Amino acid sequence: MKRLFRFSSGRAGAVRDVKDELRFHIDARAQEFIAQGMSPEEAQRAARRAFGDLSAIEAEVRGNRIAYVERTERRDWLGALTMDIGYALRALRKNPGFTAAVVATLTLGIGATVAVFTIVNGVLLRPFPYKDPSRLAMVWLAGPEDGGGATLPLTTGYFANLNDDASSPVDAAAFRSWTYTGATSGAAEEVRGARVTFKFFDVLGVLPMLGRTFSDTNDAKVAVLSHGFWERRFGGAKDIVGKPVTLSGETFTIIGVMPPGFAFPRGAELPAGFQFAPRTDIWTPLIISEGDRRNFGTMNLSGVARLKPGVQRLQAEATMTARLHELLRTFNTRTQMDYRLITLKDQASTTVRRSLLVLMGAVAFVLLIACANVANLLIGRTASRSREFAVRAALGAGRGRIARQLITENVVLAGTGTILGVLLSVWAVRAMLSLVPSGMPRADDVHVDWRVIALAVGVAFACGVAFALAAALHLRRANIGTTLQHSTGRVAGGRRRIGRRGLVAAEIALSLMLLIGAVQLTLSFIRLERVDPGFDPSNAITASVRMPLPNGFRPILDGPKYQQFYRQLMDRLRQAPGVKAAGGSSVLPLTGQDEWSSVTIVGQTPPPNGRGLRTIYGVVDGDFFGAMGIRVLSGRGFDERDVTDGTPAIVVNRAFAKAYFGAANPIGQQLNPRFEFRADPPARTIIGVVEDAHQAGLGEATTPQVYVPESQLPYPFMNVVVRSAGTDARTLIPALKNAVGAIDPNVAVAQVRELEDLVGTSVARQRFSMSVIVIFAAASLLLAVVGLYGVIALSVRQRKRELGVRMALGANARDVVTLVLREGVWVSAIGVAVGAVGAIALARVLTSMLFEAKPADPAVIAGAAVAVALVSLVATYVPARRAVQVDPTAALRAD
Amino acid sequence: MPGSDIITGTLDILILKAVSWGPEHGYGIGKWIRQNTGDNVIVQEGVLYPALHRLERKGLLLEKWGQSDGGRAAKFYTLSAAGRKHLVAEAKRWTNVARSVTYALGRT
Repeated sequence: MKRLFRFSSGRAGAVRDVKDELRFHIDARAQEFIAQGMSPEEAQRAARRAFGDLSAIEAEVRGNRIAYVERTERRDWLGALTMDIGYALRALRKNPGFTAAVVATLTLGIGATVAVFTIVNGVLLRPFPYKDPSRLAMVWLAGPEDGGGATLPLTTGYFANLNDDASSPVDAAAFRSWTYTGATSGAAEEVRGARVTFKFFDVLGVLPMLGRTFSDTNDAKVAVLSHGFWERRFGGAKDIVGKPVTLSGETFTIIGVMPPGFAFPRGAELPAGFQFAPRTDIWTPLIISEGDRRNFGTMNLSGVARLKPGVQRLQAEATMTARLHELLRTFNTRTQMDYRLITLKDQASTTVRRSLLVLMGAVAFVLLIACANVANLLIGRTASRSREFAVRAALGAGRGRIARQLITENVVLAGTGTILGVLLSVWAVRAMLSLVPSGMPRADDVHVDWRVIALAVGVAFACGVAFALAAALHLRRANIGTTLQHSTGRVAGGRRRIGRRGLVAAEIALSLMLLIGAVQLTLSFIRLERVDPGFDPSNAITASVRMPLPNGFRPILDGPKYQQFYRQLMDRLRQAPGVKAAGGSSVLPLTGQDEWSSVTIVGQTPPPNGRGLRTIYGVVDGDFFGAMGIRVLSGRGFDERDVTDGTPAIVVNRAFAKAYFGAANPIGQQLNPRFEFRADPPARTIIGVVEDAHQAGLGEATTPQVYVPESQLPYPFMNVVVRSAGTDARTLIPALKNAVGAIDPNVAVAQVRELEDLVGTSVARQRFSMSVIVIFAAASLLLAVVGLYGVIALSVRQRKRELGVRMALGANARDVVTLVLREGVWVSAIGVAVGAVGAIALARVLTSMLFEAKPADPAVIAGAAVAVALVSLVATYVPARRAVQVDPTAALRAD
Repeated sequence: MPGSDIITGTLDILILKAVSWGPEHGYGIGKWIRQNTGDNVIVQEGVLYPALHRLERKGLLLEKWGQSDGGRAAKFYTLSAAGRKHLVAEAKRWTNVARSVTYALGRT
């Protein structure tokens, strides 16, 4: 009997079928012979004889049969899948509101996740385009008292010691930013380059695409181009090697072109103070002379080193430092310095790692909320479709078939959401990166790669499985027979709703945590923007004005030329209409352009470490303090008295005075700076004290700084600042360009911006984190509220009959509203409580991103909790009101 | 004789004809052909099965496992719609050919 219902499926089934079919024939034929009077044995033999070659026929039929069965099954499976998908699409189209809600939620959740992950991947995870990048480290200096995070640049002396002999644990190269002026199509433009020691490309392990790189220390007046610069400027000419290029009046021979993607050093990967451009376009040799090997004063080099095989980073650091201490002893100096090695990856991501990880966390919250919402919508839909499923089951659809149908629907939903989400993420990545103009390391490298695709697919798969599971569990619980007897609307289904309420409570908790984070970041950002930068950013413009240096930087020989140019420029600007003050400086506040050096105070014993007093120094022209709006606190700023052969003068800032003079009056005291160009400079007299201008960032502590007049320390690169007497400083831009062009048309005017932009750019990273988290928090709160509304609305629909009975029995509208409200209030109360506790637990994560704020500020937590609770109440009240509009008789009669 | 084109074609028509009355298993089909052709077409009964399976693959026959008169499970074949059409067309063609051939052979 059981064979009656057999299914022949697969190879084994085919083999068995053929055997049974033939067996039946032989047996039936034998029966016929037995009826004719043969013995059973004889009958069997006769039957086989009549049949012919049984094994040959069986083999033939079996072979054909297997091929046939397998082909049929494949076709059936495809057919069923096509049917399922078609049915799913029809079902989803029939319910456009539901479909739109699910797809939109998924698109948002997946789009945000993929976008944030794309950025995290590009900045933190993707390997550098150098050979074996984990063996590369940046080399910095740090004094014993400088704390763990200090990274001082190298001097030529400190660098030369690194590579002195074969026993060094590293191969090192040094480089510094160098901006050239090049003329294309008439106008002078800046070319951002780097001067690098000859082993630079070998240390990074990158080969040129064309030509060669620097081969030995004798290479001079040669240049290597970046791929981008080669294409832009030379149209990608294949025969470029050997051609000349003129930069800042110097002529270089092009010896090579680097492959695309290579742009080391890239500004955002290194501390801002080194003034590297986002991408380096040209590399020229940095030659270290015998004299440079003894220079332990001017720190202006960055170092990169490759650890030799088998050497660990910390071990190399210790060995190098020990060798350095020995060397310093032979020089009989009391200077104490250690080397510090920081891996390229840490170097590139230290500034943003934390905020990116917080973003990842925030987006994970959004995704969780989105998934919870979709799961909720699906459970609700399954519940309202239970009758449909019951009917289909009664008509013979197996439970497996219905489950498969549900899974197909969910996969179609998740798939659509993923595709739209990935499209959204492409746009979102662009939008997010535009919020951080240049502050994000490796931002130019951010793009979708296999990790991102894998994440998107993984998320979609996880969502699909989770939804299918939720729906299937629900289906398993719903008893089909019961559903048909008591149709929807009669049973309250209390147990069933617990899952949905839990999901909504979790959504509320997550969104409250995000909201608290967003509020704290916003408050912190407002506080940060309120910090007095130490100068007046309104009504002034700034531009980089750099002189070409045909023979290199020769301050002693060419100094008078630099001085004459800037003196003329300042005179012209001062006399231009609408100008209140004009000046210039080698370093600008909030740009991180800081040249560190040290000074000693005349008549004071230098501190025991022998390094002098560390300070940033700036070379200034014209009325720099007036143009910047930096207040002079005591003494005076520079003026016409500070001529080239006048008394050597210096101005210090408040932080310098406080750190090195304490309560004493610094004015009239004398300093010996290390950054002088002349061999035996006279001491400089302090003529004034000015307000601190924030150098590294508004949130950072101010640092000691000194200013010297360019008239007494010639310098060819100035950030010119022009303050307007009227309101719109931008009207002065043509005047500035004309003034420069009239004096020397070969001088480039670049990076023209308002002083206010300096402030804006310096907080761009904080603004980025804040904006993104605020958007995430708003989106998640919206999702959570929609989720809560959905749960309560469905609950009201399912309890329509119960509520109708209650009202028919005399309950008034208020009782019913209270009844429904109670459910919503419980859900949101639990969510808010869990969210508040979670926010306190996670407070530590945000600490480093906050400026002058308590991480778990009770006022913020309480305020956000109340706000979320109120919004939840509204989301509950609307469907609750609808409950009392139920007509009791209609509700009772409804099926 | 099995393998000769005329006989193969003949066997196919006879099988289709055999199941045209209703579902029948392989043994029953063979028996019907034997009884109605006087053992002239089928010499060895085994040749029936490759033919049955071939017709099923072509979609002319449908299969269904059922119970034989003796109470055993057996594979029953029925005519599909295509099979019935095929039978009608082939029977007509066969009759024409047979008549022509008979006529030709009858000429003396």
